[in-house]
Amino acid sequence: MKKIIASLIIAITAFGFMQKDETITVKGSDTMVILAQRWAELYMSKHPGVTVQVTGGGSGTGISALINGTTDICNASRPMKKTEKEKLKQRYNTLGVEIKAAKDGLAVYVHESLPIAELTFAQLKSIYTGKITNWKDLGGPDTRIILYGRENNSGTYVYYKDNVLDGQDYSATVQSLPGTAAVVNAVGKDKYGIGYGGAAYGKGIKFLKVKKDAQTPGYEPTAENVKTGDYPITRYLYMYTRSKPTGAMKEYIDWILSSEGQQIATKVGYFPVR
Amino acid sequence: MKRFILVLFTAMTLYSQSPAQDTAAVVTKEELSEVKGAVDGINETILEMKATVDALKKIKVSGYIQAQYQVADSPGVSSYAGGNFPSNVKSRYSVRRGRMKVNYDNDLTQYVLQIDVTQSGVGIKDAYISVMEPWMRTASLTAGIFDRPFGFEISYSSSNRESPERSRLFQTLFPGERELGAKLELNAQEGLFSYINFKGGFFNGVLNTANENDRNKDFIGRLGFQLPFQEENFAIDGGFSLYSGKVTNNSKYVYSIDENSATKQYRIDSMATNNLGHFGRAYYGGDIQMYYDIPVIGGASLRAEYITGEQPGTSSSGSFYNPSSVNTALYKRQFNGWYVMYIQNIGLQNQFIFKYDVFDPNTDVKGDDLGRPGTNLTTADIKFSTLGIGWVYHWDANVKFVAYYDRVMNEKVYSGANGSFAAYKNDLKDNVFTLRMQYKF
Repeated sequence: MKKIIASLIIAITAFGFMQKDETITVKGSDTMVILAQRWAELYMSKHPGVTVQVTGGGSGTGISALINGTTDICNASRPMKKTEKEKLKQRYNTLGVEIKAAKDGLAVYVHESLPIAELTFAQLKSIYTGKITNWKDLGGPDTRIILYGRENNSGTYVYYKDNVLDGQDYSATVQSLPGTAAVVNAVGKDKYGIGYGGAAYGKGIKFLKVKKDAQTPGYEPTAENVKTGDYPITRYLYMYTRSKPTGAMKEYIDWILSSEGQQIATKVGYFPVR
Repeated sequence: MKRFILVLFTAMTLYSQSPAQDTAAVVTKEELSEVKGAVDGINETILEMKATVDALKKIKVSGYIQAQYQVADSPGVSSYAGGNFPSNVKSRYSVRRGRMKVNYDNDLTQYVLQIDVTQSGVGIKDAYISVMEPWMRTASLTAGIFDRPFGFEISYSSSNRESPERSRLFQTLFPGERELGAKLELNAQEGLFSYINFKGGFFNGVLNTANENDRNKDFIGRLGFQLPFQEENFAIDGGFSLYSGKVTNNSKYVYSIDENSATKQYRIDSMATNNLGHFGRAYYGGDIQMYYDIPVIGGASLRAEYITGEQPGTSSSGSFYNPSSVNTALYKRQFNGWYVMYIQNIGLQNQFIFKYDVFDPNTDVKGDDLGRPGTNLTTADIKFSTLGIGWVYHWDANVKFVAYYDRVMNEKVYSGANGSFAAYKNDLKDNVFTLRMQYKF
C-alpha cells in the first residue's frame, strides 16, 4: 500500500513538473501582435527546436489567459491592474513577473485630407467623451466627427481612457473596432474620422501632433519624440509571466531584450526599452 | 440588409445596362441617395445595438458547484468539514456549495446577488450594492448582505480556498461568513496608499438573513497592508481586525468562570437586571500571508491568523449568543484560536496543502477541569485542533479536484467524567476524508 501511495505521489509530482516541450504560447495585446509575430518568426528560425505560438485578443484577454493557465506569456499594452495581480496571487501564490519589452507612442490618426494638424490633450478628451462633436469647433470643416476606438478588452482602450480621458467614459458614439489595424483602415476611408492606436500601424493616414496643453508645442509620435518623452502619449509594452521565467521561456525573453530583439521592435515601428 | 444589397445590385445593373448616359446618371443619383439612406439606417441600427450590447456586457454571471464524497471515521460524527454526519452515516455524497452570482458592474456602482443552491435548499449568500466615489476611485460604500470585514480567511472565496472548509475558529465565530450591514472600504489603486487598505462598518450582529433582535449595532473592521517585493518574488500581506459588539440576554442567568475558586467552574449570576441586559462580544485578530515564488517548482504561500477575545455564548455552543428560545442562559467565555497554512504550487496544475488550526473556546479551563461534577462546564468548553493535509489538481481553467484529510483532535477531559463528557476522555473518532470536484465559470 505504501509503495502504491509513494508511486502515486511521485507520478503526480512528475506530472506537475511536465511542461509542453519547447513550446511557448504568447497571447494578449493586439497592438503587440505584429511585433510578437516578428519576434517569434526570427527566434524560431534561429532555434528550430522551439515553437512560439502567438495570438492576439487584447491585453485583458491575455491577462485572463495567464491567470487561467492557458498561456505562458501575456502581452499587454498596459500594466496589470491590482485586482488582476491579486487573482494571480490567489491561484499561483506568485506576484507575476513584469517585463518591459518595448516602448510605444500612442498615435492619434485622422484622414490625410483633414485640415487639422494638432490637438491638445483637453481637446482629445472633449472629442472622445462627446463634448466636442463637430470639426468646426477645432478649426476644421463643419461636419460631424466620426469616432473610432478599440474594444474594452484592449489595453490600448484602457490606457487611452486612463491617460487621455482621465478615466471618464468614452462617448457612446465611438465605433469599437477589433484591432489597431482596423482603426487605421477605418480612418483611412473616412474623411472625418479620428482614431487612436500604436504608431506602428500608422501607414497611409496622418498622425496628429499632440500637445500637453495650449501653451506647449505639439509633437508627432516619432522615434526621437517618444524616446525623449516629448510626445505626451508614450507607454511601455509589457510581457507578463506567472513565475520567474526559466528554461526555454527565459532564453526567449532574454533574446527579446537583447539588441537583436530590440532591433526588431524598432523595425516594426516601436522603440527599444534600452 | 437584404434590401440594401438588392438596391445596390439594382443600381449597378441599371448603370451597366443603361443605353443613355444621362438617364443612367439620374438613376444612379436616385439609387445612390437611397443607398446612402439605407447605410445611414444601418449605422443607426448598429449604434442602437452597440448600446444594448454595452449594457449587456455590464452583467456578469459567474458561479461554481462543489460536489463531494466524504468518509468519516465513525457514523454520526459532529464535523466542521461540511456539517455533522447523520446518525448511522459515516459516508455521504453532497453538493457542498452551488453558487450563482449575478453582478451588474456599472464601473462606479455595482449590484451583486449571489444564491446558494444545494440539497438543503436555496439560500441567499450575497445581496448588496456598492458605490465608489468617482474622483480618486479609492473609497466605496457597500450596503446589504456581504462578507464580514474581519481577518483574511473569511473573505477568501470558497471557490479559491485550497482547503475544503474554513478553520473551526471562523466557522464558530462567524457562522455563514455574511452579515447584514454597511461598510466603508478604502483601497487606493496607486501611490503610497495602495500599500494599505481599510474596510469597516456597522452590522446587525445576528446572522445574514435573521432580523435584528436588539438595538445594538456591531462594528467590524480590518486595517490591512500589502507589501510586494517584486524583484525578490516575495510579498507580505496582513492586517489587524476588530469586532466590537453586544448581544442582549433574554434570561436573567449569566455564567462566567469564577476566578477565585480553587476548581475552575462557572459562577451563576441571576440578578433580575441581567434580563435584557447587554453583554460584550469583542474579538481582536491579526493575520499575515507571505508569498514566495520558488524557481522551477512554483509559488508558495504561508498564511497564519490569530484571534482572541470574549464570546457570549450558550451552554451548548461556543458560537455567539443568538438563542432561538426564550430564557436561555448566557455563558461568558474568553477564547482564542489560530491557524497556520502552507500551500505549495507544483507546476501549473498541482497544489499541496498543509493546515493546522486550533480553537480553544474557553481559555480559562483545561482538559482536566472538564467533566468534573458541579463545575457547570459543558462540552462547548472543549478545545479542538485539526491537522489537514490535501492535494488540489487543476484539471483546466474551470475544473479542479481536491483530496483532503482532516485529522481532528479534541482535548482529553477529566478521567472520571461521565455523561456527555465521557466520550471525550479519549480522542473521538471523527476524522474526515473529503474528495471534491469543483466546476467554476
